[in-house]
Amino acid sequence: MSRVRHVRGFDIVKPLSIFAMIGIMLPLILLPLASIFIYGTSSGLDKFWQALNAPEAVFALQLSLVTSFWATVFNVAFGLFAAYVLSKYKFWGSNAITVIISLPTAIPTAVAGFALLLLWGPYGILGRYTDPYFHLMFTAWAIIVANIFVTFPLAFGVIKPVFDTMSTSLEEASATMGATRWQTFWHVTLPGLRGAIVTGALLTFARAVGEFGSTILVSGNLASRTQTAPLYIFAKFNEGQVEAANAIAIVLALFSFAIFSILFFAQGYLEKE
Amino acid sequence: MYIRVAFVILVSVLLSACLPSSPSSKGKRTITVYGFSIMKEPLEKEIYPMFKEKWLREHGEEIDFVSSFAGSETVTNQILQGSPAEIAILSIERDVDRLIKAGHVPNDWYVTPQKGIANKTPFVILVRKGNPKQITDFPDLAKDGVRIIHPDPVSSGGAQWSILSIYGSELIKNEMAGTKDDAKAIGTLRSIWKNVISTPASAREARTQFETGFGDALITYELEGLAMRAAGAPIEIVVPKSTIFSEHPVCIVDRNVTAEERPAIEAFRNFLWSEQAQRAFVKYHFRSTTDEKLNDANPEFSKIEMPFTVQRFGGWEKAYPEVIEGIFRDQIQAKK
Repeated sequence: MSRVRHVRGFDIVKPLSIFAMIGIMLPLILLPLASIFIYGTSSGLDKFWQALNAPEAVFALQLSLVTSFWATVFNVAFGLFAAYVLSKYKFWGSNAITVIISLPTAIPTAVAGFALLLLWGPYGILGRYTDPYFHLMFTAWAIIVANIFVTFPLAFGVIKPVFDTMSTSLEEASATMGATRWQTFWHVTLPGLRGAIVTGALLTFARAVGEFGSTILVSGNLASRTQTAPLYIFAKFNEGQVEAANAIAIVLALFSFAIFSILFFAQGYLEKE
Repeated sequence: MYIRVAFVILVSVLLSACLPSSPSSKGKRTITVYGFSIMKEPLEKEIYPMFKEKWLREHGEEIDFVSSFAGSETVTNQILQGSPAEIAILSIERDVDRLIKAGHVPNDWYVTPQKGIANKTPFVILVRKGNPKQITDFPDLAKDGVRIIHPDPVSSGGAQWSILSIYGSELIKNEMAGTKDDAKAIGTLRSIWKNVISTPASAREARTQFETGFGDALITYELEGLAMRAAGAPIEIVVPKSTIFSEHPVCIVDRNVTAEERPAIEAFRNFLWSEQAQRAFVKYHFRSTTDEKLNDANPEFSKIEMPFTVQRFGGWEKAYPEVIEGIFRDQIQAKK
């Protein structure tokens, strides 16, 4: 730290900048969030609990968690594998693949949804042939596939830089001691990636839980069947049941807050070798 | 090692390693209904339970209803994309025609004398309490400074009814005054459309926006106004001198129905015209199509001086291309 310069014996810049920062965040982030909490509790906590305990709402939250979980498992595993391949081996077209993996970040989620429909829908390019045997669209599987698509680059994006900067000396040492490639990966490489994997997983999970645009297109939005929490919020708002929509929104907001708190505070613990 | 620990934690948070199945629908017969936005309450609160009870009594079998509600056009598009709807309850007959064209619904889709129309309701204008903008009929909506919420004709059937209602109402009044003046009616529609500040995707979404204090007026189904009034919303219902009755068709989406499922689904469709179901519709402020006397049970219904239906334009097959596309889309929206 450089020495702080004092203006007339008192540093005015520090409190001012903190206030300015909070002042900017207030109308943009803090107040909108506060208003869902204020509204949610305005008609009493029993109302809030009732809205939360509605079977449709419980199901929607469950479905969101489960579909996000499987999308996360897949994307972390794939991200790890792809990062390993792309940082270990240089081959023609590897850069193109890195770019393609990152593509879903820039694709509007609604486009992701109808792209999946155009492929797997009952009249889709592949769907028209597979439809007699199994249905992918308008089931919970469709939600997982959509979640995988929209969160595809997140885990990879966190894991790959760590791979790139990892020194190979440890791996080489382990190899000279007679470890197999697999043992080296499991005992040497993986522990070094611990922080990146957990961060990537939590980011992917948080993003998938809040996913709306692609889900509404591929799921069919059937209450207690294929309706995730964000779809439930949207449906309830459309029906004019703002309290019900709001209760679930509060749960999702708290959930996201919890995830990012874990990320922030667990970072130090995870980075420890 | 730690990675495994992290995973175990994540797994235990979720406590589930398989897809959740709807707790209520295991091993039961289900009927999947896709309906347009305002149909939700009467179906879920009255008609589903009644039919479940009836089917259990007659066949000893439990039935579960799964439903999805959105704007009529949205629902139709979802079905065309392959949504698993078995019954479609739509706002406009044109949407049934679209399903017929795509081969989802057979040509002879209705069996009742009501031609597949389950219920109807007139179109009215909702304004704020005390009617501060002094709206008495459609032309008042064209006044400066009136902010209108109007659902989007692209996704909402109700929005299309509303456009037909304004246009037809003006035509009829012009005729009464002895001038058959289409251009004048189009002009009124155009100046009303200039005042539209928001086009939500469905009639219900439009109502939600209006309820949150947005806009001065909303053109919608009468039952939406009556339901809001019953809930104590600070609004007033303005009944135009002449307005349209919207008529809502119900069809079975044959493509998604197997022979084994058919009897229950047909029974449910036919049930919608039973006196029991029609009374339930009336209770929820829809008007019955089977018997006008049933409508006397609801004292809230307003009297319409000069009602008309889509038949005035020669049915939807004419009204859609001529009014919605030819006049609204090509002459009004394009120039907005």
